[in-house]
Amino acid sequence: MVRTEESIILIPDTALVQRTLRSGQRLKFNGNVLVLGDVNPGAEIIATGHVVIMGALRGVVHAGAEGDKTATVTALTLLPTQIRIASCITRPPDGLPAPDAYCPEVARLKGDEVVIEKYVVSK
Amino acid sequence: MGVVYVVTSGKGGVGKTTTTANLGAGLAKMGKQVAMLDTDIGLRNLDVVLGLENRIVYDVVDVIQGRCRLKQALIKDKRFENMHLLPAAQTKDKTAVSEQQMVELINTLRPDFDYIIIDCPAGIEHGFKNAIAGADKAIVVTAPEVSAVRDADRIIGLLEAHGLGEPYLIINRIRPRMVQSGDMMSVEDMLEILAVDLLGIVPDDDSIVTSTNRGEPAVLDQFSKAGQAYRNITQRLCGAEVPLLDLTEKDGFFSRLKTLFASR
Repeated sequence: MVRTEESIILIPDTALVQRTLRSGQRLKFNGNVLVLGDVNPGAEIIATGHVVIMGALRGVVHAGAEGDKTATVTALTLLPTQIRIASCITRPPDGLPAPDAYCPEVARLKGDEVVIEKYVVSK
Repeated sequence: MGVVYVVTSGKGGVGKTTTTANLGAGLAKMGKQVAMLDTDIGLRNLDVVLGLENRIVYDVVDVIQGRCRLKQALIKDKRFENMHLLPAAQTKDKTAVSEQQMVELINTLRPDFDYIIIDCPAGIEHGFKNAIAGADKAIVVTAPEVSAVRDADRIIGLLEAHGLGEPYLIINRIRPRMVQSGDMMSVEDMLEILAVDLLGIVPDDDSIVTSTNRGEPAVLDQFSKAGQAYRNITQRLCGAEVPLLDLTEKDGFFSRLKTLFASR
């Protein structure tokens, strides 16, 4: 991985998934993963880099699977079964009702905890 | 040349066999030449649901292993001349048939029928692979339960991998009152996850239980709401545009009065 600046990360390998990943489908990839579709419950993505989902994340995603703590998970609708970043695992709190409207969100590590933030365009 | 549909779901008990029986009977009632094929070898049910159990002499395994001719095993329905059933074997298991043999069997059936409907067993193993091997298009049946939707999603993925992409979806056993009160997944919730073409919705109806037990498909019952749902589905299969069944309950006198005034 080459870091030119803090904000531009050059990773040679990115997988572009041009469909929805359904239950039982698993993608393991050395690099970043970009999904143009949903990740349904029961589907799993394991990537050594970042994961970006242009759709709803309802399944399991492991970003930075080989220990990259800077890896993030971004989705237009973030409703995961579980998110793992590097060696940290998190899941949505039990019994929390789903909100009426969703907005794009990012999951990243702060310290040893996965935090979910609203996705804001960096200017 | 006939079209071959496989009715599948992954999960058991969501209504594959009932759907197969009703689609078959509905199409036969419209005058189409229909063959139904039960591939649930070892756990045959379709004959019972159609009320044809006592007519079985030979089954699909007998045909494939050459113990009888296809014509001998095909059972003609007691109500419709143009509806036939090829029953599953009860005393063998799913390994008695291979995918290649299933494709050959379907190709021999194809020229004589307009529609061939295959009833698939539950699960994703050998029996499922046999059932989908010769199909042109899949019909996925699911119910408004999280586990059924999960399995339907898995099945759609597997169907895509086997070249049966873009299947039709039938949502069975909807209880409108529970959907209205937010206690049951709605059609929209399920379509959001599964994202395939909706062929129809069928309400959870007591008449299905009685008609299934009596061996009379509900589609032939003019007074059954589920029967109406299946009639709509068969018409859609034949290319007609039929709006989705309105499942909102209007059985109260006042609500009926209200809709009467609202329609003026």
